[in-house]
Amino acid sequence: MEHKQPVWIALLLTWGLLLQACAPPQPGPDLLAPTAAQMKLRSYQSRSFEVTDPSQAMRGVVAALQDLGFIIERANEPMGLVTAARFAEPNYTDVMGITVTVRPQTEGHMMIRANAIYNNKPIEDPKVYQNFFATLERSLFISKE
Amino acid sequence: MHGHLKYLTNALPIGCLLAAGLLLQGCLTPYESRHENQWDAREQIWMSEASQVKLRAAQSRIFDMTDRRTLLKAILSTMQDLNFQLEVLDEELGIVSGKYFAPLERPEYGYDPLYHLYDDQSLLVFSKTYLSWGPFWHRNDVVRLTVTVRPRNEKQLVVRASAQFYLRAVEDPEPYQKFFRSLEQALFLENTLAQDSQAVQPITP
Repeated sequence: MEHKQPVWIALLLTWGLLLQACAPPQPGPDLLAPTAAQMKLRSYQSRSFEVTDPSQAMRGVVAALQDLGFIIERANEPMGLVTAARFAEPNYTDVMGITVTVRPQTEGHMMIRANAIYNNKPIEDPKVYQNFFATLERSLFISKE
Repeated sequence: MHGHLKYLTNALPIGCLLAAGLLLQGCLTPYESRHENQWDAREQIWMSEASQVKLRAAQSRIFDMTDRRTLLKAILSTMQDLNFQLEVLDEELGIVSGKYFAPLERPEYGYDPLYHLYDDQSLLVFSKTYLSWGPFWHRNDVVRLTVTVRPRNEKQLVVRASAQFYLRAVEDPEPYQKFFRSLEQALFLENTLAQDSQAVQPITP
């Protein structure tokens, strides 16, 4: 009878651990607050272009995304929003999503902002955004001609 | 007394081994074990713990403006700041929805290609023979947010945000307060953006 005691203690210990390990995480107060890193990222993600017509800027964005192999998911001209996604090379199990917004800035200027997400993790490398804006610049230049 | 100590020393290695095994493995079924199963729609209805009036007050903010489009644009910018992926945008109804993944959990055993296969269109299925977590099978770190804009009176608009985390509604007012603070800043930027063109040097394509 007494020999069963160690087993019970072990079971209790296990149960305690199981309960502790499986508690659901609670939402933190910063669940819907931008971090300092995100605010820094904003400057890489935005660029102003000399375009007068919002619809021309939108078409330029769509064409640039197509050039980069993206599939357009939604494009809303009045709100100036384009979202697109593609499988990332060379590993085709990875997914890349992008959200682009077009905002009129002043007479003759449009502010374009892109947010890229790689496998549901935001891309923080400024080079990626530089590449996108270089493609967009070319795309806008071609559509101007 | 001596006997008890002897048994305790016997039990400790077994307990430690079991605990180490569990720690290495994590939870046996990590996702399912963290949620209570909801077998009835009534359970979902009763899941809200806070008072509905209190919750609605925390989730809503009144804005002294009538331009819905500007407000919706500011909401989009705020959601971009938070790295949300936008899913729904309806200007007429004034609805914006999106999701993002809080970096809480990652596949435990190396790489799980199915982790990225998140299908938000599929439904949860609970039948006698088939139980499924639907879109949440591989994902448990999804944060969803729906923001609605509707007129309050002739001069004001009401914005209401409702967030979901770990399949449950966020009832704590603090995340909403921070969201509205960001929204107010975005709205301010949205208004000044049009006036101030000197902030960013334009690049001529």
